[in-house]
Amino acid sequence: MLTRRLIVCLDVKGGRVVKGVNFVGLRDVGDPVALATRYEAEGADEITFLDISASAEDRATLLEVARRTAEQLFIPLTIGGGVRTADDVGRALRAGADKVSLNSAMVADPTVLTACAERFGAQCVVASIDAKLDDGGTWRVWTHGGRTPTNLDAVAWAEECVERGAGEVLLTSIDRDGARTGYDLPLMRAVSTRVTAPVIASGGAGNASHVIDVLADGHADAALVAGILHDNVTTVGALKDAMRASGLVVR
Amino acid sequence: MKLSIFDYGAGNLHSLIKALERPGVSVQVDTDPTLAVSADALVLPGVGAFPAATAALGDAGRVVMRDAIRSGLPTLGICLGMQVLFDASDEGGGAGLGVIAGRVDKLQAARIPQIGWNQLELGVERDALLDASELRTAYFANSFVCRPHDPSAVVAWSTHEHDRFPAMIRVNRCTGVQFHPEKSSAAGVSFVHAWLREVQT
Repeated sequence: MLTRRLIVCLDVKGGRVVKGVNFVGLRDVGDPVALATRYEAEGADEITFLDISASAEDRATLLEVARRTAEQLFIPLTIGGGVRTADDVGRALRAGADKVSLNSAMVADPTVLTACAERFGAQCVVASIDAKLDDGGTWRVWTHGGRTPTNLDAVAWAEECVERGAGEVLLTSIDRDGARTGYDLPLMRAVSTRVTAPVIASGGAGNASHVIDVLADGHADAALVAGILHDNVTTVGALKDAMRASGLVVR
Repeated sequence: MKLSIFDYGAGNLHSLIKALERPGVSVQVDTDPTLAVSADALVLPGVGAFPAATAALGDAGRVVMRDAIRSGLPTLGICLGMQVLFDASDEGGGAGLGVIAGRVDKLQAARIPQIGWNQLELGVERDALLDASELRTAYFANSFVCRPHDPSAVVAWSTHEHDRFPAMIRVNRCTGVQFHPEKSSAAGVSFVHAWLREVQT
């Protein structure tokens, strides 16, 4: 049977891994290739690079980073951030990504998902959705790094993304992002029971029990972690051990 | 030893090339099937879709490659590259290489594609590559699986939900794996190296 995955996300800017609060006061935390291979050695199941660059020059740098990483990393690498067209996806795949995630661009033009799936296969197309609960109790899709609201219902949108060709859904709770109070279990449940593709839960991880909860009770196929690793709150090894001890099947 | 990766034109070959680059092995990437089969060993990589792969082969290329593999060219087919070894696929795209008798059809599961690390269920016969690498959990990313007419060629199976499918198949000097060894961390890379040693001896 499939194991439950632990995915490590690294924010990359100008060829370096950075960390910051709300994109302000970014701190350099290291070389992407060195960090990615270290997390692989510790037992991470996949690595995601999120490009938080603002400029085209930095984007070109990220592809170079992907190329260097792919030559040393022997687990799947996903690249996201600023990907707009099927050609962008093609460039990222040729550079060394195994999967590419789309977010704002697929809201602006959902046909890009189908174009990518037909050209490269659904298994490398990840629909990245940032969701926030509104006053009426509906999760709405926000774009542009969580700054721009839309009227889209996040659960229905996830379903549409999969129908249009996404092979995976990376679902981030804006409400929980960075809060370390646990993943948004009702959101994860709502989406993972509606879509056929695997769901990666993101936003809210504070400790190992949060990861276990979202996989066991949130029905997510994979859990994405970032901050708690970069701040040395825990390690990939400790998280995987806790997942295994809870009875989840892990690698 | 000259080794060729046949490039169907899409996707990431970097990790695969790195895993294959060993002392005494020279890796080339070919888009021409005739050039690809002139090497000492052939790798069919696992990126893209069945129709794109058969289009890249073309009718003439399909015959050339099929004959070379049938005549004993050591071949490793990865994911889609394994599927291309079969007669045809429900994904479309006409005839495959037809080196292994059987069809490719869709996984019978609610969660599709299968994405992630799945366990290998070993057959009664021990396989040298799996023994040498100790690969027991491997990375898969697929919606389609192979259904060989002769299941005795299958040396390892995997199960997604309730569908049991071939994870690894061996027919003469031809090896097909539904998983991605080049994405299955250290044990996966060991698997590739074990295959190279087998080919070189």
